[in-house]
Amino acid sequence: MGYHLRKLAFYLTALWAAVTLNFVIPRLLPGNPVDILMAKLQQRGGSVDPAARQAYETLLGTGGRESFVQEYLAYLGNLLRGELGVSVSAFPAKVTDVIAGSLPWTVVLVGLATLLSFLLGVGLGAVVGWKRGTWLDSLVPATTMLSAVPYFWLALILVAVLASGLGWFPLNGGYDVVLDPGWSPEFLASALYHGTLPALTIVLSSVGGWLLGMRNMMVSAMSEDYVLTARAKGLRGSRVMMRYAARNAVLPSVAGFAISLGFVVSGSIVTEQVFSYPGIGSKLLQAVQNNDYALMQGIFLVITVAVLGANLVVDLLYGLVDARTRDRSTVS
Amino acid sequence: MTRSPKLVTGLALAGVIVLFGLLGPLLTGDPATIRDSGLTPPGGEHLLGTTLTGQDVLAQLAHATRGSLWLGLLVGVLATVLSGVFGIVGAYAGGAVDEVFSLFSNVVLVIPGLPLVIVVAGFVPADQRGTSTIALVLAITGWAAAARVLRAQTLSLRNRDYVAAARVSGEKTWRVIGVEILPNLLPVIASQFVFAVVLAILSEAGLSFLGLGAADSSTLGTMLYYAQNGFALQREAWWWFVPPGLVIAVFGGALSLINFSIDEIVNPALRDRVRRDGDVVASDPAPPEPDAVLTVRNLNVVYRGDTPVHAVKDVSLTLRRGEILGLAGESGCGKTTLAYAVNRLHRPPAEVTSGSVMFGDVDVLALEAEELRRFRWVKLSMVFQGAMNSLNPVTTVRAQLKDVLTTHRPEMSSAQREERCAEVLRLVGVDPARLGAYPHELSGGMRQRVMIAMALLLEPRVMIMDEPTTALDVLVQREILDEIKRLRDELGFAVLFITHDLPLLLELSDRIAVMRDGEVVEHATAEDLYLRPHHPYTRELLASFPSLTGEAGALTR
Repeated sequence: MGYHLRKLAFYLTALWAAVTLNFVIPRLLPGNPVDILMAKLQQRGGSVDPAARQAYETLLGTGGRESFVQEYLAYLGNLLRGELGVSVSAFPAKVTDVIAGSLPWTVVLVGLATLLSFLLGVGLGAVVGWKRGTWLDSLVPATTMLSAVPYFWLALILVAVLASGLGWFPLNGGYDVVLDPGWSPEFLASALYHGTLPALTIVLSSVGGWLLGMRNMMVSAMSEDYVLTARAKGLRGSRVMMRYAARNAVLPSVAGFAISLGFVVSGSIVTEQVFSYPGIGSKLLQAVQNNDYALMQGIFLVITVAVLGANLVVDLLYGLVDARTRDRSTVS
Repeated sequence: MTRSPKLVTGLALAGVIVLFGLLGPLLTGDPATIRDSGLTPPGGEHLLGTTLTGQDVLAQLAHATRGSLWLGLLVGVLATVLSGVFGIVGAYAGGAVDEVFSLFSNVVLVIPGLPLVIVVAGFVPADQRGTSTIALVLAITGWAAAARVLRAQTLSLRNRDYVAAARVSGEKTWRVIGVEILPNLLPVIASQFVFAVVLAILSEAGLSFLGLGAADSSTLGTMLYYAQNGFALQREAWWWFVPPGLVIAVFGGALSLINFSIDEIVNPALRDRVRRDGDVVASDPAPPEPDAVLTVRNLNVVYRGDTPVHAVKDVSLTLRRGEILGLAGESGCGKTTLAYAVNRLHRPPAEVTSGSVMFGDVDVLALEAEELRRFRWVKLSMVFQGAMNSLNPVTTVRAQLKDVLTTHRPEMSSAQREERCAEVLRLVGVDPARLGAYPHELSGGMRQRVMIAMALLLEPRVMIMDEPTTALDVLVQREILDEIKRLRDELGFAVLFITHDLPLLLELSDRIAVMRDGEVVEHATAEDLYLRPHHPYTRELLASFPSLTGEAGALTR
């Protein structure tokens, strides 16, 4: 089986596992989510007809009226049709609409911040490894200390100092509420301005991990024979560092992207909450606080699919940066 | 073993926080006592001030630290056990078990942890969310990365000779794992455990801060939750909000420092190293002989360290135009160090302490960094010992040949460079179509030919070859040696040929130097050395090789 096919098969397995987990969790845990949901729905003036109840039961469990297999098949069928139910906290909006409205915010924020953090960490790590034995070595413990700080705590300190104290940034939100969301320059500028502090939090908290990993691989790569050859060839220092040492040292960071992305996504959920950012993380917490189980499950599924998708893309790109993987026959 | 300052600092900081968590609650009084003083800044009776309801922050901090540490420990142990089962046992068992375990670990790894924990916490009613539930959920979502690392380590250990020996001798599986494998995995397990503890404390803080933590516990996260909901920062009550986060950060940082030290113990190459300013301490150039291209005079190279090693002692060599000078000696005799020092490729802690290297009338040891860079490969190129690994594995042969030309011949056009690369490949008998190949697509002999082609690119006057054929099988070795001789006759460069294989040198070289323990003990023409060896070591070397007819000692006279 080719490299690409194997990766695709793996991520499909992971996707299936996540979907099944989503199905099993509400059925295994204590509590009676369907009843809670129906009560909520009634409060909001929604119809409590049997059809609504049945929709939620498909999602969360019928309490034993139908067999596990029947429930599972009905649940998979709904997923395939893209039916994730109705949100009670945003009633009468459908879960899919709530997600569609908040997902772009998170994708842009987390995507850009992660990319920035990766580039910064890998770049700095390459330099710190290359210039080993200079003052730059102290960057390693310093940034690691930053990674040990809880995201939300750092976010709140940044808000207190840079937003409340100095007034450089807005306190919260994703854009200036007087503007209409759209592609107007004012709105984009406002979104960028509001996103800076959350992005800064994510970058500061996650850059240390990339930096340390890259630095260590750089140190190993520098003792490789091909780097010695490159130096003997009389190549400029910058070229030896970039094309020989760093080019090889970056491979594990790219391969380990999967693990790190999970951490960043986790951290960004809490960060969004601190900034009341209109992304999917805030919505998830809102759903949890309001017992909006349908929305909760939908968001978990979407986050998982997004993370799996990002990993799949990175894995496929990895084949491009390391020709050896394409010819290898073992699964990572 | 020398203690690293990182380890000492890390242990000290972590120790202080653990002690604070253990003893603090006994000394600081009741954290729950409500006083009507309200928010008071640090000082006087309350060292860290009080909360909105007049509770003592220091007492709360002590109890919260204990709560967080306890949870971290719980999750750390659970996650380490899980990762051990899936990582070590899977890798040791191999086959289908390993496939399934490793697939399972990888799937758990890519499913984002905190969202899952939040969903689970959301479904469990608040009154049923105890510390043990939270610990279990955090452990279940947090073990997979460690399992991956342990699996990789176990796989490499499993193939070691002593483990294989234990298995073949019929030892029980649990004994092999417990006695042969586990002790060697300890540093890795320790580092993964530390990582799991930090991650658990951080995740729990996040959960509690969101109001999803355990209902029955007080941790640093719950303390932050109350501080946030009491608008601590808006009221500028930093003493309420800052300390819990700081304890987490310092504890996490301290454990990271401990992890660094463990990494450095496992992989000594990562240790901090003091950089020295120069690679050459002294150089005293001597006038070269008229037809010499490379003259080495009284060269000394020392590896600085706790016990300095004098690797090259007073070595003098002369390489004349167009000749092949053989340098023979056992491995570890300093011949590779000498080869590197000639081109100043030696790295700290190696240092040239005295002597001179003259290329024609250029004093190589006195060259400035930029002059040295321009000198390398143009005047003197090298073919290395580990030719298998001397090519960059991630770029094509073309890219690695061309960057020599882009650097040293910037005036050439792209088409001319391409043509020159093809030309040198043809010279060494490699099809120019292989320019687009990656090193792993070439055989060992091919790679060595590519290396030689690369060394020919700029038509240098001297080529240093360090064991260029050692790793190749006899037939390929023969072809490559013939190729080197032919190229030397055609192009007229001089070769310093380094090997432990004296019979090979006798056939190939014009003159031979024999090296032992960093010194050149004999230096003569190939014929003289063969017919009239002077030094006992040379005689010993000659006697130790079987002649081509297979009779041991037949080479000696």
